[in-house]
Amino acid sequence: MSVSAPPTPPRTQKPVRSTPAVPLLVLPATAAAAGAAWAAAPETARSWTATLAVTSWLCVAVSVGLGSYLVGRARRTAADRRTEISALKGRLAQDNAGLAHLVNVALPGIAQHVRDGTGADDAVARAAPASGPHLRQVVQSFAVLVEDAVRHAAEAESRRQQAVQEAHGVTAELERLTEGTLPAAVEKLRDGTSAENVLAELEWPRGAGARACAELFVRELAHSERRTAAAQAASAKSLGRVQAKAVSMLADLRDMQDRHGEEVLGDLLRLDHSTSQLGLITDRLALLMGGRSSRAWNRPIVMESILRGAVGRIAAYQRVRMHCSTNAAISGYAAEGVMHLLAELMDNAANFSPPIDEVHVYVEERTAGIVVTIEDSGLKMADAAMRHAEQAVSGRTNDLASLQGTRLGLAVVGRLAAKYGVGVSYRPSSRGGTGVVVLVPPQLLAQQREPGPALTGRTFGGGGVSAVPGPAPAAEATGIARRVPDVRPVERTGLPGQTARSAPAAATPGGLPMRAPGRTMAEAEAERERRDHHRPPAGPAVPASRDAGASFGAFHRGRRSGATGGAPDSEPPVPG
Amino acid sequence: MTRRPVDTGAPDRLYTVTGGRSRADDSFDLVTLVVAECGPSAGMQSEHVHILDLCRHPTAVVEIAAELALPITVVRILLGDLLATGNITARHPRLGQTAASHPDTALLQEVLHGLRNL
Repeated sequence: MSVSAPPTPPRTQKPVRSTPAVPLLVLPATAAAAGAAWAAAPETARSWTATLAVTSWLCVAVSVGLGSYLVGRARRTAADRRTEISALKGRLAQDNAGLAHLVNVALPGIAQHVRDGTGADDAVARAAPASGPHLRQVVQSFAVLVEDAVRHAAEAESRRQQAVQEAHGVTAELERLTEGTLPAAVEKLRDGTSAENVLAELEWPRGAGARACAELFVRELAHSERRTAAAQAASAKSLGRVQAKAVSMLADLRDMQDRHGEEVLGDLLRLDHSTSQLGLITDRLALLMGGRSSRAWNRPIVMESILRGAVGRIAAYQRVRMHCSTNAAISGYAAEGVMHLLAELMDNAANFSPPIDEVHVYVEERTAGIVVTIEDSGLKMADAAMRHAEQAVSGRTNDLASLQGTRLGLAVVGRLAAKYGVGVSYRPSSRGGTGVVVLVPPQLLAQQREPGPALTGRTFGGGGVSAVPGPAPAAEATGIARRVPDVRPVERTGLPGQTARSAPAAATPGGLPMRAPGRTMAEAEAERERRDHHRPPAGPAVPASRDAGASFGAFHRGRRSGATGGAPDSEPPVPG
Repeated sequence: MTRRPVDTGAPDRLYTVTGGRSRADDSFDLVTLVVAECGPSAGMQSEHVHILDLCRHPTAVVEIAAELALPITVVRILLGDLLATGNITARHPRLGQTAASHPDTALLQEVLHGLRNL
């Protein structure tokens, strides 16, 4: 603390010294003047003049004397005052120095001592004693104040430290909550653990607010998970009933188609078609809801039947032309999935192409598996739509939340593709529209029972039989290159795709192993095939050498089934 | 026909076999004999191949239907396709010749007896 400079030293006034000779000069001068006045006065007035002169002189003398005395006294007083002033100046300078010392040295010293932990009194005692009781008092109260301030500062600092520590703790706790605990909780809840168990198993923050927040979160999430699961289970169950009904309707219709004749066949076929479409829609929903397909085949299905089964489920099946050049069959457990997948893709292709254009489906067998190319000649998909479709069929997002409105087909395709390891990719079609390339991996193919000479380039579908054995554009477009002969490239000895099949068959969240549907059946099927394969052929199975009995029996059966229906029965085969 | 277990059937529906047609032309009746004129060729659907295999010898329509396990009408539609492309020829059994060549009723009954006794 700096103190203003000491007051400027008083200006030395030049003392006006009236010389003491002045009164002494005045007295003779006045005396002379009075004498002159008396001398000059006429004789008659000499007496009162002399009196007046003497009186006047006396008055002047008295005035001069009094004035001199007063001046002298004033001078003495002034000298006294000057002495006093200089003494006071000395004291003032001394006080100033003491004050400056106090401000510049003593007080900082005291403050320092107090800060260092000395008590106020000790600090005051240690510092140079101040002069004067007021200063001492000032120093004392300063020391006390500083001591107070220091104490407060220390308290505030410790409180601050504590608060910072608490804040750090809370931050770390929140971080642990968001990065470790909550994700773990979400995972457990998704796996079906109840909210109470999750709350009991995991370590939750001790802070009341964070804990309440986390608990509310967990309970809400558990509730919504439960709701989702319940809704899915209910949907899957109900859809399962609809599926069963649809399947039995299809079986009934097939039965009726056998029993009734040409008059009702068209109607029955139309009903059959509607029911098949209903089956597709129901299966789609059921698969999305975690249910199963309505059908499960227990034997390998040849590619032609797969394609027909797929195309029969879409509305515009007559616009789809199929070019199937393989006799390969798909294992029973995967047949329904592949069929559904192809049906969805064909449905998409037919829906997004002009209603007069055909959708072409090419099937080829390659070393990498069976390649099915579905090409429409509709509009080219925009890049964004293509990306969206690619993403949908990739099967990466298995979340119902990503479903949008009525576009469910591609999501189902994604799930099926992921389940069976089928590759689905979009590309611009060489016909101007969009092409989808489906690669059915060899693991899904069944061992062929009779690898005899295959008829290649089979074309069917559409309205007629005119064959369009055009080269599949997939060859030049995709560049999968080498065309392999139609005989199976690799003679499989083991169970087909046993290793690859174990991949999709994951475990339940609880850790229990899960059996892929149809797997046992497929294995049994493969086992039976192996047995059949090892057994020497009993004879030519072709009907070239059918015996007459078989022929007759077939004739009889055919006639009976034809006759019970409304078939033209105009000519009884056996007269009599 | 007995009701089959649900999932042992074929996945292909009949309208996909016929391409949506449900009316057959009148070229065939139940006993029309069908003969293949050539072997199966590339680009045929499997039913056509099967029919051509069956009809290397003259075969009746009902027999084909039984072998293929398809309704008569569907078989007639398929046969109509093959006839249109000239892959088969159809021939009605002439009545007189049929009557003459058919075995005796008594013989047939004997055969029936024999079959039942098997």
